[in-house]
Amino acid sequence: MTAAHLDYDTLADLAEGLLADSRAASADAHLADCAECRGRSAEIADVTRLLADAPMPPMPAELASRIDDALAAEAAASSHVVSLESRRGRRRIRILSAAAATVVVVGGGALVGHSLLTGPVSSENGAAQSQPIQDRTGSAAARPPGASALKGSGGGATGAGGGHLALRSGTDYTDARLGDQISAQLAQGESRSAEDLAPEQLTGCVRRVTQGKMPLLVDLARYEGRSATVIVLPGTGSDRLDVWIVRPTCSASDPALIKHTQAVR
Amino acid sequence: MSSVGGKQAEAVPDKELLARHAQGDPHAFAELVQRHRDRMWAVALRTLGDPEEAADALQDAFLSAFRAVGRFRGEAAVTTWLHRIVINACLDRLRRQSIRPSVPMGDDATLDAIAPKNADPTALHEVALDVAAALQQLPYEQRAALILVDMMGYGVDEAARVLEVPTGTVKSRCARGRARLAPLLGHLRNRRGGSIVQRAEEGGGSVQ
Repeated sequence: MTAAHLDYDTLADLAEGLLADSRAASADAHLADCAECRGRSAEIADVTRLLADAPMPPMPAELASRIDDALAAEAAASSHVVSLESRRGRRRIRILSAAAATVVVVGGGALVGHSLLTGPVSSENGAAQSQPIQDRTGSAAARPPGASALKGSGGGATGAGGGHLALRSGTDYTDARLGDQISAQLAQGESRSAEDLAPEQLTGCVRRVTQGKMPLLVDLARYEGRSATVIVLPGTGSDRLDVWIVRPTCSASDPALIKHTQAVR
Repeated sequence: MSSVGGKQAEAVPDKELLARHAQGDPHAFAELVQRHRDRMWAVALRTLGDPEEAADALQDAFLSAFRAVGRFRGEAAVTTWLHRIVINACLDRLRRQSIRPSVPMGDDATLDAIAPKNADPTALHEVALDVAAALQQLPYEQRAALILVDMMGYGVDEAARVLEVPTGTVKSRCARGRARLAPLLGHLRNRRGGSIVQRAEEGGGSVQ
């Protein structure tokens, strides 16, 4: 009663439990009698083993860095389109939502008067010399006026693009603690490098707010629970801070001001 | 500055990394990629059979995952989601290839990419190449199913989620794929001597 030999398809289906019961029973019966079909069945099982055993090379290093670069470029591109978010759809908003509020602080009088375009200027007492905060050699913004260590090399860092480094401190600024919170950020300025170059829109926003003055701090953070950018400029006294809190939509054409206030360091 | 994506990143679950990425953490996605890129590379390379195409597909895949994070549904594992994106990117490549002459298999570039860099230079290498070449003989659907289940070791259920087909479909594709590969890979069973042939003989099989 030797039935016809089983083909590979049937044997593979049998192994995978795909045959109907009656068909599976007769196939099993045939296998019990037929060494040739058992051999084929073993070949099918070995396919799985051969596939599992085939070495898997790791991703080539060149490709890994190529992909890293592509993702970094994509990340930069997404952070540059804040102003376009309504046009570009939701994902941009989602990506950016956490970064949404900016706080700009304008600090002690000594730093006032610097233009992003003109770069650092020395004054007689040395206090007015500052570096743009994007200078990676150190954050002038955090230095007290008069600090002699300022290198005055910041002008170049302003560059043609006039980019800022902006922080994302994650702070939720509140009215009640504004001065302390800003002071805390400024105090850390020395040891911490800012996260990334601010997109053009933010640069435009900062220029609009600061009227060309050098901000002490630009923090893409939160204010009273809402996304906001905090821009801090030197105030009218050495311990005074001029604080602008703007919405994430702030740009050169519209500051989208939430609050303009003074704080004490 | 390194308040995120720092040293603790190793311990952060995939889903948490993805959530951080969605919230704008610039390091989270890179960490995710680093974690899974070797597996994704293996899938893309085996699926497409050509390292250039696989590299392009993988880059496409990671970029679209980067952008599509908002479409990730929390109920799936992140790796399931990533595999799906990689496999879809490969399929896109294949569709584009189909209007061009197909890439010849077994050329030097393929060989280099498939070869284990520091491993046994001969036997495994040949097996890898033969397996890769044989896989290319399969219809795409069968190949993708076998890569996930037999090669990468995923369960049928998991593969079904990646491929978005019923588990029965995955089983059937795997079975048909194995049936096609069995005669193509028969020579490897002999060449490798030892274990596989012995197993076959113990089972009473006749190996040619």
